[in-house]
Amino acid sequence: MSEMWINMGPQHPMTHGLWNLRVRLDGELILDVDPEMGYLHRGIEKISEDRHYNEVITLMDRCCYVAGMAWEHLYILGAERALHVTPPERAEYLRVLCDEFQRLGSHLMWYAAFVQDLGLMSPFLYGMRDRDLVLDLFQSYTGARMTYEYMRVGGVRNDLPPGFTQQARKVLDWLTDRFREYDQLCLGSTIFRKRCDGLGVLKGPDAVRNGVTGPMLRAAGVKRDLRKDRPYAAYDRLEFDVALADGADVTARYLVRMEEMRQSVRLLRQVLDWLDGHPGPVVADRLPRWLGAPYAPVGAEGYLLKRQYPKGVGFAAVEEPHGEALAYVVNEGGEHPYRVKFRSPVFANLSAARTYLVGYHVADIPPIMGSVDVCVGEVDR
Amino acid sequence: MGPEDLQRGLASRLGAGLLGVDAFDGTAGRIRFDRSVALELFRAMREELGFGHLSTVAGIDWVDRREVVYVLWSDRALQYVLLSTFLPADDPKVESASGVWPSANWHEREAWEMVDITFDHHPDLRHLLMPDGYAFHPLLRSFKLHEPESLEVKVRHV
Repeated sequence: MSEMWINMGPQHPMTHGLWNLRVRLDGELILDVDPEMGYLHRGIEKISEDRHYNEVITLMDRCCYVAGMAWEHLYILGAERALHVTPPERAEYLRVLCDEFQRLGSHLMWYAAFVQDLGLMSPFLYGMRDRDLVLDLFQSYTGARMTYEYMRVGGVRNDLPPGFTQQARKVLDWLTDRFREYDQLCLGSTIFRKRCDGLGVLKGPDAVRNGVTGPMLRAAGVKRDLRKDRPYAAYDRLEFDVALADGADVTARYLVRMEEMRQSVRLLRQVLDWLDGHPGPVVADRLPRWLGAPYAPVGAEGYLLKRQYPKGVGFAAVEEPHGEALAYVVNEGGEHPYRVKFRSPVFANLSAARTYLVGYHVADIPPIMGSVDVCVGEVDR
Repeated sequence: MGPEDLQRGLASRLGAGLLGVDAFDGTAGRIRFDRSVALELFRAMREELGFGHLSTVAGIDWVDRREVVYVLWSDRALQYVLLSTFLPADDPKVESASGVWPSANWHEREAWEMVDITFDHHPDLRHLLMPDGYAFHPLLRSFKLHEPESLEVKVRHV
C-alpha cells in the first residue's frame, strides 16, 4: 500500500490546544510522526525582558493555563535566586498549598479531557464538576479562577481569608470519595481497558534519553520527583510518597496521575494543619518598594534595585503537574530581567512523540496523546 | 557531587578545553568549557559522570558574544549541572549534543531560531515555533519589541 502524510490538527479534538501532528501512514499503521508547534507562540521570554520582575508573573499564568500557580512558583524561585531574596516560612507553605491544589486542578482537567477522548461523556462531566471546587477555592483567596497573579518575589500577595482551611478540608474529603468512583468508572470498564492497556509504551531508558519527565516517566517505573529529589519551598518538611507504576503504557499513566492526586490530598492536609497553627508574615521585609507586595506602586523606585541587589543568575526547578519545569533568570542589575529561559516539560514529552507513537494505529493516537497531557501554552510560550 | 568532583573527573580528559568549574546555587556546579571540546565533554558527562538526561539548552545573547547553557540531570547524583560555553557573535557555532542526548534535538532547534546559534551535525535544524522562512531571530537583543516589525514575513529561500 502507498504511504502518505496526513495532518492531525491544528483543529483536531485530540490536540487539546493548537498544534499539528503530522503522521506518515501505511494504511492504518503509523510509520513516522512530526509534531508541528508554534501556533500559540506569544514570545513570553522576549516580553519578559521588557518588564519589571513582578510584572512577569502575569505572563506565567498564561504560560500554562491549567497550571498557572506552578509556573508562577517556578519563575518566582528563579527570580528570588537571581535577586538574592528569601521568603518567610509561611509563604513557603502557602506556595505548597497553591502548587498542590493546582496539581489537583490540572490532573482533574486532564482526567476529564482524557476520558472524553475515549468517548466517555459522563466521567468528563464529573471531572469538570470536581475541578470547579478547586477553582472556587482559588477564587476565594486569589480572586481569580485561572490567572491568579498570587505569588510575589519575596512571598505571596495576601494571606488566606478566614474559614478557608475548613472549606478546603471539606473539598479534600469530597475529592477523596470521588477518586474511588473514578477508578470504578475507568479501571472497571472493559472498554476503557481495551483502549488503554499496552498502548503508547515508553520504557524507562528510552524516556530518560528523550528527556521525558513527570507522570510519563514515573509510569515507566523511574522514581524521580523533584519534590523528593531536590525539595523546594516546604516539601522537605512534608510527608508523601512518589506515585509509581511499571506498565509504561496509557493505563500506567492513568494510575500514576490518580495516585498523585491522592498524595496531593495527603500533602494538603498537612499544609492546612500547619497554616492553622502558624500565623505570620507572608512577604519578606526589606524589599525595594516596587518589589514589595502587596500594594507597592511601580515607578521610579524601580531603580533602587540597581543599588540594593548585586547581579546574579537564578536557576530553579519545580515539579509541575506535567513534569519538570526549569527557569533560568539572568539579572544584570536593572529593573528588568536580562534574559529568562523556561523549560517546559510538555515540550520535551512531545519531542519524544516518535518513540511512543510509531508502530501503533491511527485510532490509538487520541488515547496515547491524551495520556501525555498536552498543554500547548507552555510548549510554545 | 560538587564543583571539585567535577573538576577532578574532567580535567585529565579535556585539558585546556576545560575553563573552570564554579559553584552554582541549586546545581552541582557550572562547568565552563571551550567549544572545541564540546563533544568530548558531552560524552564524558554522559558516560563517566552519569548525566543521562539533558533537560534544556538555553541561548543567551550578550551582544558581543553568545552563550549556550546546557542543563543536565543525573539520576545517580540526583543533581542538576550546568555547562556553559561562549561563542563569538560573528561565528556562533557549536557541536550539536543531539548525538549524545536525543532530547537536545528540539531544544537546539529553538536556540537556533531564537538566538541564532548554529549546531553543527544537528540532524534536523529547522524552525520549530516560528513559521518556515521567518528571517529574524527574536531573542537577540537587537530585535526590539517597540519598533513594530514589518507585517509581511520576509521569505528566505534555502
